[in-house]
Amino acid sequence: MTTLLTNPLRVGLRQERVISPQCIVIFGASGDLTHRKLVPALFELFRQRRLPSEFAVLGCARRPWSDEEFRSKMAEAMADTIAEHPGAWEHFAQGMFYEPVDLQQSDHLVRLGTRLETIDRLRATRGNRTFYLSVSPEFYGSGCRALASAGLLADPERSRVVIEKPFGRDYGSAQGLNKVVQACAKESQIFRIDHYLGKETVQNILVLRFANTIFEPIWNRNYIANVQITAAETVGVEERAGYYESSGALRDMVQNHLTQILALTTMEPPGRFDAEAIRNEKAKVLQAAHLANEQEPWQCCVRGQYSSGGTAARPLSGYRDEPGVNPNSTTETYVAMKLFIDNWRWQGVPFYLRTGKRLPKRLSEVVLTFREAPVHLFDAAGGAPTPNQLILRIQPDEGAEFKFEVKAPGSGMRSRPVDMGFSYDDSFGEPSDEGYVRLLADAMLGDPTLYTRSDEVEAAWRLYTPLLELIEEAPWQLPVHPYEARTWGPAAADNLLAEEGLIWRRP
Amino acid sequence: MSAQLTLQAPLDVPPAEVTPYLDRLWKGMLEGSSGAATFTLLVWEPSWLEQQLVRVGLIDGPIRGFDRSDLMTAARQAVSDCGLPLSTAPMDPRLAWALGQKPGHQSSADLRGQVVESAISAHMPRRLITLAPTLDAGRPLETMVAAYCPLPEEGGTGAACGDAVVLRGGMGAIQQNLHLIQPLVGDDLPCWVWWNSSLDEPLDMLEALAPLPRRLVIDTSLGSPRRCLDVLVARIDAGQAVNDLNWLRLRSWRESLAMVFDPPSRRDALAHVVQLDIDVEGDHPVKGLLLAAWIADRLGWHLVASRPIPADSGSSSESGGIAAEFERTDGVSVQFRLMPVPMGMPKAHPGAIVGLRLICEPKGRPQLCVILCSESGGCMRLESGGMAALELAEELVPLPEEHEEMEMARLLSGGHDSTNPLLASAAPLAARILPD
Repeated sequence: MTTLLTNPLRVGLRQERVISPQCIVIFGASGDLTHRKLVPALFELFRQRRLPSEFAVLGCARRPWSDEEFRSKMAEAMADTIAEHPGAWEHFAQGMFYEPVDLQQSDHLVRLGTRLETIDRLRATRGNRTFYLSVSPEFYGSGCRALASAGLLADPERSRVVIEKPFGRDYGSAQGLNKVVQACAKESQIFRIDHYLGKETVQNILVLRFANTIFEPIWNRNYIANVQITAAETVGVEERAGYYESSGALRDMVQNHLTQILALTTMEPPGRFDAEAIRNEKAKVLQAAHLANEQEPWQCCVRGQYSSGGTAARPLSGYRDEPGVNPNSTTETYVAMKLFIDNWRWQGVPFYLRTGKRLPKRLSEVVLTFREAPVHLFDAAGGAPTPNQLILRIQPDEGAEFKFEVKAPGSGMRSRPVDMGFSYDDSFGEPSDEGYVRLLADAMLGDPTLYTRSDEVEAAWRLYTPLLELIEEAPWQLPVHPYEARTWGPAAADNLLAEEGLIWRRP
Repeated sequence: MSAQLTLQAPLDVPPAEVTPYLDRLWKGMLEGSSGAATFTLLVWEPSWLEQQLVRVGLIDGPIRGFDRSDLMTAARQAVSDCGLPLSTAPMDPRLAWALGQKPGHQSSADLRGQVVESAISAHMPRRLITLAPTLDAGRPLETMVAAYCPLPEEGGTGAACGDAVVLRGGMGAIQQNLHLIQPLVGDDLPCWVWWNSSLDEPLDMLEALAPLPRRLVIDTSLGSPRRCLDVLVARIDAGQAVNDLNWLRLRSWRESLAMVFDPPSRRDALAHVVQLDIDVEGDHPVKGLLLAAWIADRLGWHLVASRPIPADSGSSSESGGIAAEFERTDGVSVQFRLMPVPMGMPKAHPGAIVGLRLICEPKGRPQLCVILCSESGGCMRLESGGMAALELAEELVPLPEEHEEMEMARLLSGGHDSTNPLLASAAPLAARILPD
């Protein structure tokens, strides 16, 4: 969102929930995520006065940094932000500490416990702790075990652990990891993060649906013909080849982000707005979802991989030519699929999900296409009337748009489609918080509403199990179609919809 | 909302035995229960209005110490019975005083401090200490102690118990036994002091109960306006974390006004305000002044002068309004008027906002008139004078009728270990606008 002239009357009104005294412990503090997202998010919370004065950040990683080195590394990475608020940073940095820790070394954990007690005394953080595992996924289970065996998760009221994605590689590994972490801590202490849920526009799906009376009565199979969910990126694999080669678009985007959007779009209304009620409904709808053809998944899914493209002036490499990528890689950078949800609300409505890298635009959106009017009374300017569409724009240009038919000016009675739009920029004109700001605050508040519960994660993996098994066991049946960089994916993806006489929306 | 009874019947314990008894309680009956690591809540709970209404027989007991619907109904009836102006809010301390002049000797059980509002108990206070002065000023002190365990919500993490201590008696007895409070409060958890009464009451009691660093909760709608603002400002100046329920009740007005200027196309108009009018119920201007001061502070206006507006002889209002002149950052003058409006059915607390009007004159663009009206008041007075002919932005401000306990629960949920900076800036300015 663009930043416009600030509304002076809005300043300070968002005094919502205040986080109780605590220390957030970041494992993997020397990693990218810490200086790109986590510490900036905590600093933003500090600037918004949403952190208590009794607060501390303890960075932990294997590197033998001192407190001062940790502070200066973070300051270096956040130089632009800090330049705007030097005084605030100075104050915030006083509460930043560092402890060299290898989670696999029990004596390190003992030292960590002692350091935390010292911080408790120094910063009055009352033994209240949030542990953030920003480490390699293979250490999630052993990290939790190490924390539990050191007694650091013993108090369910005063300790919680945040686990980054991906949570498992498939249904079996997610189940296994759930068992491990649930043996170490109560479910109420476990916060599985999906940063998409921190986006205002994703949360707005709930508000749009459940705070308005006009949408919910038509939010079902009787009125909605199909739903498309798109998450498109313009960037390629960049520096993430090592991770991406083993995950691909299905694990990196679909199983988590797109599935969460699907769940929020399709869940039943919760009885009340609390974490358990919402997560119950999300889990239920994911348990009712399935691939359009589970027996022959290749019939309802298309994989793609970007090849070279761009312009003569700015050529773009193909995926296999990217640094760190296997030249014969069959990892998908694009995936599109068709799903159904077997329940009263959605029976028979196709859901089309797609995501890809090196597509023409960076955008995420949900498009609900409504059924056509039963009788066409008017000529349509475009030949046939355009079905009504409700488009929820997740990013960028956050907002919503409704397409409907009106009378085209003139003496005849021809109809043509027009748009009615809502834009966050036009209505609020303030940039919304980064997803991590909201999610970190929620974790420290102990509010898991925007975090995924064990059964949700497992249901999401189970949904894609036929595809993952196929890719593992008979990859030739789900080939990776090449597509030119900066195009809307392989032509095969269009065929998924063409059978129904539909096309992907070209945003 | 249902009140939650204590786990055990409150036990009368001699004052000197309170602390040893609590020690025994936690080591015995509650052993194994996790004591809530939350906060202590110390409540000054005279409930003068409720006590008087019971005494004169307008409501039945028991006296509970928090809002109940029959109390409001009886209080509204008592306003006319006592010959007070119809605009008198039921919670106006003058009503309790007027009832005190009436005969009556009904008595009733007194459960103050022995029932915990579920909205408050949901935040699991570790200790709830209630000071309950009685109408009989000479009554000796009684102390009662009980444990309570809020029922965990579905999916909750088990009961974390607390205890409740009640000190009840005449003012003299309570004052003589204030030394009992400090050992009960302890230093390891934050302590909130809720002055649930008029600020016109003797300040030495407030000072004794709420030294720094205890967090203070007051209500500046209760008490004479000058006294209310002076107490608020003095406490903020002293560095205490002060929360004002009257300020919190302005939430929907602040939010509604900010909402009008959220669309960037409107924002420029904020730099060109020339007039601000606020209508309030009855003759208590503090809430209106806090609203005006918040706007002036946010927009960078400088107070030039203020003066009282004499009561109109034809008006049914007891008192006049307040006029003030501000200077914008560009030197242009802004006129402010706060006017009391008589209401037949006032809100529970004195000085509720009825409406707000902001007139902006952006250069080279049409005048913009923003009118916010309460659901109860309507906009007609502020629309008069041709305002409807300007570019008009009108909003109806929702005014949920929330009890003090709900406001208090909201505060407790947020921690709020320092004074809200918006209030800290607005309060001194509001005090300066109020003419002496």
